[in-house]
Amino acid sequence: MTGPGPTGVGIGWRPEIAGFVAELPGLRFVEVVAEAVAPHGPPPPGLAALVERGVTVVPHGVKLSLGGAEPVDPARVAHLARVAELVGAPLVSEHIAFVRAGGLEAGHLLPLPRSREAVAAVVANVRRAQADLPVPLALEPIAALFDWPDDELDEADFLTEILDATGATLLLDIANVHANARNRGADPLALLDRLPLDRVAYVHVAGGAEQGGFYHDTHTDPVPPVVLDLIGELCARHRPPALLLERDGRWPPAPALRAELDAIAAASGYPAVT
Amino acid sequence: MSAPGGGDLAARQAELVAALVAGGPLPAGFAPAPVDAARRALLRKRAGDVARHWPLLAAGLGDAWPATFAGWADGRPTNGSLRDGWDLARELHRRGELPRLGAEELAVREAASRYDGATPPRPRRLPALARAGGAVAVRLAGRVRLLRPARR
Repeated sequence: MTGPGPTGVGIGWRPEIAGFVAELPGLRFVEVVAEAVAPHGPPPPGLAALVERGVTVVPHGVKLSLGGAEPVDPARVAHLARVAELVGAPLVSEHIAFVRAGGLEAGHLLPLPRSREAVAAVVANVRRAQADLPVPLALEPIAALFDWPDDELDEADFLTEILDATGATLLLDIANVHANARNRGADPLALLDRLPLDRVAYVHVAGGAEQGGFYHDTHTDPVPPVVLDLIGELCARHRPPALLLERDGRWPPAPALRAELDAIAAASGYPAVT
Repeated sequence: MSAPGGGDLAARQAELVAALVAGGPLPAGFAPAPVDAARRALLRKRAGDVARHWPLLAAGLGDAWPATFAGWADGRPTNGSLRDGWDLARELHRRGELPRLGAEELAVREAASRYDGATPPRPRRLPALARAGGAVAVRLAGRVRLLRPARR
């Protein structure tokens, strides 16, 4: 059975914070890293309890490498599809990025050239994935520390072309909007003004830190005020149906994590889930 | 050097990944400082991933974990967090630099699984004894126990 689409304020479910997440009274929406779930179930105990409660669970893939020049691995798509069915997900999400090439794993999400050739590669892989997925796919632009030398399109056109050609929805990471603008010396509001915000399925919010002259999207630091301000700017233009806090390590005490969820609720006007 | 739109995305992606994780040269046209920042960020990300698979090894090294891991992993592509941590633990063991907690974790892993250093570890089926840094772990009747802690 497929649950309702993501709404309100959610949090990325991780085993390390399963107890914290289980006790959030107003929570209606979580995400789980798809590759961390065994395909033939059962889901991890804490996650299964949330599914029982009717909380929407969105599997979030990180290793499909949809931006790879090679065809996406059908086994990885099949795994994402099985996880979606296991948790009754209304949609799944992945990145506009590549994570491996030439037989080497990069270990994280890498940016694509914003070229016609890269658009064609992503579109082909997204269509292959969509053909084998039981639910819609949302695509997330990543935070990049560097750009390719031969970009033909700006970020808004690059993303819009991919969404237009695939019918996928957008998973907008508002911290990535900040990171990319900060690291490129660009204006994040100019990007928000040009993105198809009516196609946003949900929004990621994460913490990061300045280091070595760059803003790093670490997911292990607090959400900085500048990112919370961008949530307000985003919602003033077009409020997304849901926003989700991603934290992947260096877990703060529960009150600090609750305060971050409350700050996201306050910035977006959605009810607090704590 | 590749021309834009030359239809060689696969080769250019491979060059870039090799530069980031395997000590390959910086592909033409890329700004060195941002790519180097990304290379170091990937090492920090890997260090965190491996620490989740080898929590005692990382805890045993404490503040030295990120630099120890980065020093070992730089230019060495990942074989997955489980194997990366295993290879690093064995390397530190050979150098006599494996901390006590890491020795105990390594002994338990060696007793539980057979790992040839080249292919994914496989669970052992037969009783086995493993030692590292004075730690002794045994696999008996399907269970793995630490028989003796590592030397202080």
